[in-house]
Amino acid sequence: MSTDRLAPAVLRRLPHPDGLLINRILVRVFIGVGVVLALVPFVWMVSGSFRSEADLFGNPSSLFPGSITLHGYESVWLQLPFLRLLLNSFVFAGVTTLLTLLFDSLSAYALARLRFRGRTLCFILVLVTLMVPFQVTLIPVFIELFHLGWLNTYQGLIVPRATSAFGIFLLRQSFISIPAELDEAARIDGASHLRIYWSVILPLAKPALATVAVLNFMNLWNDLLWPLVVTSDPNMLTLPAGLTLFGGAHVTDHAVLLAGAVISLLPIAVAFFLAQKYFVAGVSTSGLK
Amino acid sequence: MSTSTISGARVTSVTRAPGSPARRRRKRWSPGLLFLAPSLLILGVFVLWPIAQSFYYSLFDWTVGADSQTWLGFGNYVALTQDPHFWNALGVTLIYSVVTVVLLVVLGLLVALALQGEGIITRIVRSALFFPTIVSLVSIGLVWKFLLDPQIGLVGGLFDLVGAKPIPFLTTPSLALPSLIFVGVWKSVGFAMIIFVGGLKAVPPERYEAARLDGTSRVQTVWYITLPSIRPTLLFATLILTIQSLQLFDLVYVMTGGGPLFATDSLVNLLYRSGFVNYKTGYAAAISWVLFVIVMIISAIQLRVFRYDDVD
Amino acid sequence: MKKKIVAVAAGAVVLALGLAACSGTSSTGSGGKVDLTVWTGFTGGDRPGYAEIVKDFNASHKNIHVTMTVEPWDTIGQKLPSAWLTGQGPDIAAPSPDPNAIAQYVKTNSVLPLTLTGDGDGKINVDKLAPGTVKEFTYNGKLYAIPANFASLSLYYNKKMFAAAGITNPPTTVAEFADDAKKFTIDGGTTQSGLVLADNQTIQMWPVLQWLEGGDIVDSKNCSAVQTDASQKGLKIWGDLVAKDGISPVGLTGAQADSLFSAGKAAMEINGPWAASGYKSAGIDLGIAPVPAGVDGPVTLGAIAPLAISAKTKHPQEAQEFLAYWTSKSVQKTFSLTTGFPPLRTDLAADPELKANAIVSVFAAQVPDARLYLPKVPNATQVDSDAYTTMIGQITRGTDVATATATAQTAINKLTGCTSK
Repeated sequence: MSTDRLAPAVLRRLPHPDGLLINRILVRVFIGVGVVLALVPFVWMVSGSFRSEADLFGNPSSLFPGSITLHGYESVWLQLPFLRLLLNSFVFAGVTTLLTLLFDSLSAYALARLRFRGRTLCFILVLVTLMVPFQVTLIPVFIELFHLGWLNTYQGLIVPRATSAFGIFLLRQSFISIPAELDEAARIDGASHLRIYWSVILPLAKPALATVAVLNFMNLWNDLLWPLVVTSDPNMLTLPAGLTLFGGAHVTDHAVLLAGAVISLLPIAVAFFLAQKYFVAGVSTSGLK
Repeated sequence: MSTSTISGARVTSVTRAPGSPARRRRKRWSPGLLFLAPSLLILGVFVLWPIAQSFYYSLFDWTVGADSQTWLGFGNYVALTQDPHFWNALGVTLIYSVVTVVLLVVLGLLVALALQGEGIITRIVRSALFFPTIVSLVSIGLVWKFLLDPQIGLVGGLFDLVGAKPIPFLTTPSLALPSLIFVGVWKSVGFAMIIFVGGLKAVPPERYEAARLDGTSRVQTVWYITLPSIRPTLLFATLILTIQSLQLFDLVYVMTGGGPLFATDSLVNLLYRSGFVNYKTGYAAAISWVLFVIVMIISAIQLRVFRYDDVD
Repeated sequence: MKKKIVAVAAGAVVLALGLAACSGTSSTGSGGKVDLTVWTGFTGGDRPGYAEIVKDFNASHKNIHVTMTVEPWDTIGQKLPSAWLTGQGPDIAAPSPDPNAIAQYVKTNSVLPLTLTGDGDGKINVDKLAPGTVKEFTYNGKLYAIPANFASLSLYYNKKMFAAAGITNPPTTVAEFADDAKKFTIDGGTTQSGLVLADNQTIQMWPVLQWLEGGDIVDSKNCSAVQTDASQKGLKIWGDLVAKDGISPVGLTGAQADSLFSAGKAAMEINGPWAASGYKSAGIDLGIAPVPAGVDGPVTLGAIAPLAISAKTKHPQEAQEFLAYWTSKSVQKTFSLTTGFPPLRTDLAADPELKANAIVSVFAAQVPDARLYLPKVPNATQVDSDAYTTMIGQITRGTDVATATATAQTAINKLTGCTSK
């Protein structure tokens, strides 16, 4: 029972459930420091993208620009087919995320709700794919795409990433925590598995789906290496991949690099703010019956 | 009609409603496999088969583009055991993973415990703490590299303010790995917190009631009631975070390049260097399989420790 | 609500497939035109120079169209072997900024031996190219690549700082060099560095310091030379200057060293022509001088990047024409004037316009004395990353030279397969 519903007068007389005042203050300070620590690098990143080299070297302790310069953003805008890259990023990340939501949830349903021979094996296989970094499979995948004729194509970019082991894993944990009685009720009414999946499970798993959507979108958006491997056509690159061109062994323009980082971050930051209420409430992975 | 909840393995039912044809009840393909088919197909073709191929490469002195490959059997693996860089990378990776995961689980749990409520402030704070998770490792590695730079970084600047000489974190061999650990924890604490908040919410409040009536202290409540109740969540978080940490690469690549003096040379960084800078694809494949086996073993241990079986 | 999601998803998939249909159709050219693709990693200040070469070639060769794609070097390193193996790669590529990388591609027969050589326009004038560069790319008597560029390293110095200290001329001897480095180090290096030195992720600067004392990294038999007296002396002088006098921060990457000089926090840096324009636009009162002469006379480091043709290209003749154009006299002259790089050709050494250009003249003058770093040394890339950089990293952090060079010696010999020691 939550103590929030008790009358304030009663609350004052109860011993505070969180313990001593000093503890509560310490906790708040600790959290406060955490929040500052979490956000300051982003503030610095944005402000740094507007600062000249002289400003950065001259005033390292300052968080804000001494004078604003736009040359970082100008360089990015002028040297890249910016809007094209942005579109590519959205298409790639967006379409692929939608596909992962579909395929991952179907797989998670099978692993969470259906009993069949080989279920554990399938689960292990999915888990195994998480354990290998991309550098390992890069060359064989490149050669496979070549044989399929999918290099430099959108399907080559999208299909291999259209499912995510992480998403399957998270959704499975989440589906398990949905009471089986609801399934039973639907099945008694004559629902097939597909129907139960669509009408019963998915609506109840919205926080998990939102989390998977945001995290997958974010991972796909941020992925530099994959687009660079699949395509050599600069018009097919995604924005973060295109921005890597500003790095280099003897390139020293901090504002440009930071401007690139800020630009790459903006769309997912926006997606985050729109979707946060769904998953910041916490994703159920408890799997308790 | 009845469904067979008794015979769990097969979907075919024992009794049939009158009039429904036999065919409809016995499925040819188990629906489970059908549901899994798209994902399994994609993962199989684009991840599992390449993993198998890379094992094949590791048995040769594989060079991409060569007309014929030299058979080495387990030669690459033997060479690995004699390579000091391998052992160094193994140490770096394991230290990073253990410290990072422990810190993430402990800090994530503490923060989740403190931020369980649904008040507006609590939700805003949770969002703020989760924000570092969404930025790419490459971008944020770059930003932290600049922040920790003794000349231009905010951290260096703070040293200046108090009159001390800025410490070059990333170029001091003894401080580089701790710096990476710090950034790794910084990035994922919010993620761990979200997982734990979800787990904490699912704990039936009756358990806490009972504890409060008995007068147990806060710490005891957490230790004896909360933790056991969120065991599956703890498992999930620890497993995912461990698997990610063992594959440490982007932060190393962007922030230190494996240095200084190989103090931050992780296994994947070594793999990358062997395969793509020194063109020794077979050797790199061998490293990747050793890493793969390590990850599997550690994951299996975790699954066992958290007694995965009786939760499923 | 669900119907909307399905509709959006379906729409997105249709959009993607539609875009797929429009993209990826390779330009097969119209009416007999040959299309060539080139991959390079030149993202720095010299990038416009290469774009100019491509543009001028396309303008003057109506039957060939060249497209140059610039990607980060590490991406090229990851994709190129597979791309060339599957025939999906570019016709021409610069595989790496490291000239020794070409050895790998020669080994796997991935690159075309160049046969369109000789005198006259339209051919690669091998005799007129700087000799060391041709040798570097010749394996088994065949030439497999041309240098995409050839840079020598010079001494950049901050004229304003020198003037403030009352010194009119940059150092010309090693003694002056070391003195100036110490003199311009303020606060043990915290406020200002005398000579900023990078030891990783850079075109190497430390070999120059070794060569000044007559030392070297490997000898002509590819055996380690770091333990010779001359080598140890050079390493000790400069190692102590860094470790004890703080003339430079330790562990800098090339980019970080450049940043420091650019920001006016370093008095001197040994660097190539690519940096000049950046420093100027940062407002540095820039002076460029030859590297001070060593015990054996003037010496500096030369860096070249290979440009090679895929063995599986469908247009070997046209590709070689492009390389011939790249190395031709007028193109090299324009390139030098645009980027400040010295020209690849020896017959441009006396060109008045190039001599008049402040930047090109300094770099070009040092070309005859420029030595390559680890030329044709087996496993050179690993020698650099595992042995040499580690050795410098240790010495600059205070490890004594004898110990550090002994470790490096063993490592180098193991990597190069040296048998005579």
